[in-house]
Amino acid sequence: MSAHHEDQISFDIAVTWSSDRVVVAVSGEVDMLTAPALAGALHPFADGGPREVVLDAANLSFMDAAGLGVIAATGARLRGSGLTFAVRSPLPMVLRLLDLTHLGGYVETDTAQEETAGLGSEQRTGDRSGATRSASAVRPGPGGMPTEHMRASSDVVVAALRLVTALARKTVAGADGVSVSLTRQGRLSTVAASDETIAQMDRDQYATGQGPCVSAAAEGRWFHVESLAEESRWPQFIPRAREGGIGSILSTPLLVATRPVGALNIYSNSERAFGREGQELAALFATQASGILAEAGLDPSADATAAAMQAALQARAVIAQAQGVVMARQGVSADSAFATLRLAAAQAGVPVLHRASEIVASSQREGLIGEVRP
Amino acid sequence: MTPSPEVLEAARLELGLSHGELWFRYFGLGGMSTALEVEAYLYGALTPTEHDRDVVATALNERFSELGGDHPVPCSDDENAS
Repeated sequence: MSAHHEDQISFDIAVTWSSDRVVVAVSGEVDMLTAPALAGALHPFADGGPREVVLDAANLSFMDAAGLGVIAATGARLRGSGLTFAVRSPLPMVLRLLDLTHLGGYVETDTAQEETAGLGSEQRTGDRSGATRSASAVRPGPGGMPTEHMRASSDVVVAALRLVTALARKTVAGADGVSVSLTRQGRLSTVAASDETIAQMDRDQYATGQGPCVSAAAEGRWFHVESLAEESRWPQFIPRAREGGIGSILSTPLLVATRPVGALNIYSNSERAFGREGQELAALFATQASGILAEAGLDPSADATAAAMQAALQARAVIAQAQGVVMARQGVSADSAFATLRLAAAQAGVPVLHRASEIVASSQREGLIGEVRP
Repeated sequence: MTPSPEVLEAARLELGLSHGELWFRYFGLGGMSTALEVEAYLYGALTPTEHDRDVVATALNERFSELGGDHPVPCSDDENAS
């Protein structure tokens, strides 16, 4: 993130009415500071107003979890009232965030886009209520996306799950902390937690083998501790959580192909913090987290996945070894060695793995490398 | 010629490979990116290295070969590929 942005962050909202449709065009950056203004601009259209609300994101240059939270909440509210809600022309980065959090269904499909492409001038409402920062003139966003930042992330899945926990914490009323636990190699571990206290609450459950998170992940149904003071289940864990200041807990299972693979845990410092709405939202976020896992093909408990993974790992080992031979023979980098293998395989009309195996075998005959034994 | 994300995504769709299946093939060829990163390459949301892009292209081409086809997805070093 470049420092020179700090003094000239642009954020603006323009609202355009046309018969029964309202277009809210947002430009600049939507983050924790500006998201409330966006939420405010989208709020009046609950009922009796337009039939369709469009959030025009074409000039949006950045959006974080706070903005996603506004979209999730607005979409649920408007669609719940029978209105149409759509996000128009998000940048690839924003589109990706929407997809990751399973809000992609709100992205407008092509049909309506041309008719507004001609709308050159927009009526500015001057709604800069969130302008604790300077509301500079509307300019098209920089268009560039922080791919380097995303690329630097070692695990996009974990990043996506962290986003879900951040969203859940902001959206579920009464939530003071949220975590995601996953079963890996038969053991539960926390892959995303909103803070260290929450991570410790999870660890206490794994250590005692008790608690709503452990039960939800094991049984595949949700567990709700309305009041820790009155809870009689999980006698080893509950006192520890009370010492940690926790009043109520809601654990919702994460399911991949109907199998529980973990749990989304929402903690509150208050007793009876979660009503029906909170439970429904928790289920929604758990579904999002499950979807992220399923789409990534990372069901950690699937045997088929394990077998395929093993085959893929063996193939990788052979290819890596062949790369090593080529590197040694030709004095080239690993990437160039792969290109050599790829071209040789294409010329011979065989898969890269096949060519790699031949190279490894010939090197063994030549005594260049030893045989690999498991 | 360097294939654009659209070319890779179109090839994936033509082959009927899921993103997960493509990633497994990519991984089997030694690819180091996560499944979601590879998916993001195809959406154009992330920019892969030239090598990564070639490994994705190779994964796609090998599937085309299995189905009796040619290698229609260009890699970075075949300018003359038809």
